[in-house]
Amino acid sequence: MPDRRWRASLRNKKIAITGIGIFCAAGKNRSSFTESLLKGKCAIGAVDLFDVSRFPCRIAAQVRDFDPLDYFDRKTAGRLMRADQFALIAAGEALDMSNVRSHYGPYDIGVSMGAGAAGMYQGELWLGGIVRGEKSRPSLLRGILPDRTATAISGEFGLGGYQGSITTACSSSATAIGWGAGLIASDRLAACVCGGTDALSLLTYGGFNSLRVTDPEPCSPFSLGRQGISLGEGAAFLVLESEARALARGAAIYGYILGYAIGGEAYHMTAPEPTGQEAARVIRSAMEYAGISADQVGWVNAHGTGTPLNDVVESKAMRLVFAERADAVPLVSTKAMTGHCLGAAGAIEIAATVMALNAGIIPQTLNFRGKDPECDLDYRHDGVRASDATIALSNSNAFGGNTTSVVIGK
Amino acid sequence: MKGTFGDIVITGLGSVSAGGVGTGELRETVALGRCMLTPVPDEILGESGHLWGKATAFRAGDFIPPLKARKLDRCSLFATVAAGMALKDAGVDMAAIPPERVGIALGCGFGGIGNSEELLRGYFTKGPEGLVPMLFPNTVPNAAASNASIEYGLKGPNVTQVQRFCSAESAFLMACRFIEEERADIMLTGGADDLNPIIMQGFKTIGQLHSHAAGFGEGSGIIVLERRDHALRRGALIRGSVREIRTVGFLLPGREAEGAAMLKGDAKPDIVSLSGSAAGLPILLEGMTELPRLEVGKLVGRSLAMGGVAMAALLLFLPEGKRALHLAASPEGPIFAIDFLGGPTVQS
Repeated sequence: MPDRRWRASLRNKKIAITGIGIFCAAGKNRSSFTESLLKGKCAIGAVDLFDVSRFPCRIAAQVRDFDPLDYFDRKTAGRLMRADQFALIAAGEALDMSNVRSHYGPYDIGVSMGAGAAGMYQGELWLGGIVRGEKSRPSLLRGILPDRTATAISGEFGLGGYQGSITTACSSSATAIGWGAGLIASDRLAACVCGGTDALSLLTYGGFNSLRVTDPEPCSPFSLGRQGISLGEGAAFLVLESEARALARGAAIYGYILGYAIGGEAYHMTAPEPTGQEAARVIRSAMEYAGISADQVGWVNAHGTGTPLNDVVESKAMRLVFAERADAVPLVSTKAMTGHCLGAAGAIEIAATVMALNAGIIPQTLNFRGKDPECDLDYRHDGVRASDATIALSNSNAFGGNTTSVVIGK
Repeated sequence: MKGTFGDIVITGLGSVSAGGVGTGELRETVALGRCMLTPVPDEILGESGHLWGKATAFRAGDFIPPLKARKLDRCSLFATVAAGMALKDAGVDMAAIPPERVGIALGCGFGGIGNSEELLRGYFTKGPEGLVPMLFPNTVPNAAASNASIEYGLKGPNVTQVQRFCSAESAFLMACRFIEEERADIMLTGGADDLNPIIMQGFKTIGQLHSHAAGFGEGSGIIVLERRDHALRRGALIRGSVREIRTVGFLLPGREAEGAAMLKGDAKPDIVSLSGSAAGLPILLEGMTELPRLEVGKLVGRSLAMGGVAMAALLLFLPEGKRALHLAASPEGPIFAIDFLGGPTVQS
């Protein structure tokens, strides 16, 4: 049973989104990402970051035409990993939009990160050199651990209030946003930069290929004949603060984090609990914390990876939560546009949900191949639809059975 | 930032480290001030003169059936075994408690690195055919907490934090918050880390063997937290309570004193526990230099999430009614200050 005091504090102190930043293959800033979302542009394509020619799947949503020197001086770019660079760009966009640094002291603003493979791409260059008996550059190991990004954001923007990195694989950044909202709701921070980042790496590319859960074609969530995920990379960040504070300083508000829930399925390291009951439990709990009923939810941004099992289980969970109304609550996957960005996936999808709510649309699930009888909901395969919804959910699941659901308001 | 989280108490502890397997062994190691660091074999680093804290007495097969143990990475084994010890110590009967009311928040710094290396070596030497699928699931840092949750059926909040030397303390903060919000009635928290040759070679590569990475260790320290009323209802022994948690992201250049002031508590502690690089930050220890100090990392090795073992050791030794301050820090932040009160004494 959720804490009534906390729920009351959330109502009295609604958590406002006053900044959004995004950098991924589907858009290198808010405006280009919004355009992709509105037009349904798939960013999944060829990979040239490393050699993928020997894998069955040779595509991903890689950030193309990226020169760090367009964003950083040479010295700064050199000490940052690819994932850190994405994060600083996206966090910078969110901070500029919110302008919180002009209004709060540096010890009143924190950083809540969701991380994934982080600097593994550079770490692999180091290890590959070692295996080949070559001398590898020590600096390649500088950001091998996923906590490096939060430190980089804190240092770059002078945010001294809190520094934390959640590492629950594909649910990391959704949890980081929920956690950051809680730090604001409980008055422990005035503002928090929350989100996640991840970069493509051989570890994840090879690992998912070895598990045979990658699709050789751009992923097609909830479609007949889907074979699995398309990996992606990027970063997204939100700036959160209390509505009262945001209004008092005259900030524009782009949405709200109304509540969230996290849970463990305690079932299997890689397979979801097959009945969908565990996923449904977490979704219900998130709505309870948000103080909303299922009737108020307009649509859901799915975890929607495109693996045969995930999509069926998530559809079952929707039926358990929304019952007879399930057919009227579209379940969409923006991963068909962005790829599965792992540690950044939750943040990118929450940012996409905020943008879609503001644009008055429900996004399309791209790359439809045919109707799967086991996926019998409305997935918006046929296009973007206008919507007056004011509340949407974003689901994230991960290796280990880590499950997060976030309730987002307009 | 700082916060009290209601009346949260400690009811169970579990530990695996170079100091031994179990809290009894850890207590003895600390009581005797016995340093358990041993030389890093020369073949790992190509040089001698370095120490590490390996949990050499740990045999997974003593606790977990061998076939199951083979599926878990070393860090997961540490966490799973220490979590089992802590649940037993706390007298938690999972059959009598709704599983969704019991969660785990774990710090984990190097979990998954060993499996990642092995998976990638397979690729670099044999191409895609050399990738061993079984290794991949345990390359994620949350494998340790998740494997423990699967083993004991913990369906409450399940989260892993890595934030430098304060990974366990970061997780501890989350666990307290989840209890405060009533997301869970019982939270397991603390940290787990393993130490293997590739990690040591990495430290050597970046030149940290003589600085931050000197005397690293491995193991897991798990603490069971719950609200006092919940603990009393089920007749649990209360080992201590959490009074307040304070943290800053890092000490801002030119504003260090302001940040350090935010980490100060309202009452002088009776004992100070230091973890990570806290001993190297005199500004944190102003006015406390004469107090008894516990630096468990010097005995069993420190690491990103070895704050779990340090906090468990502190609680083993904290007398009833005495106040303890656990300080954990990393060179670039964060910094944590956690106040504990020993025994079942109710906070004033």
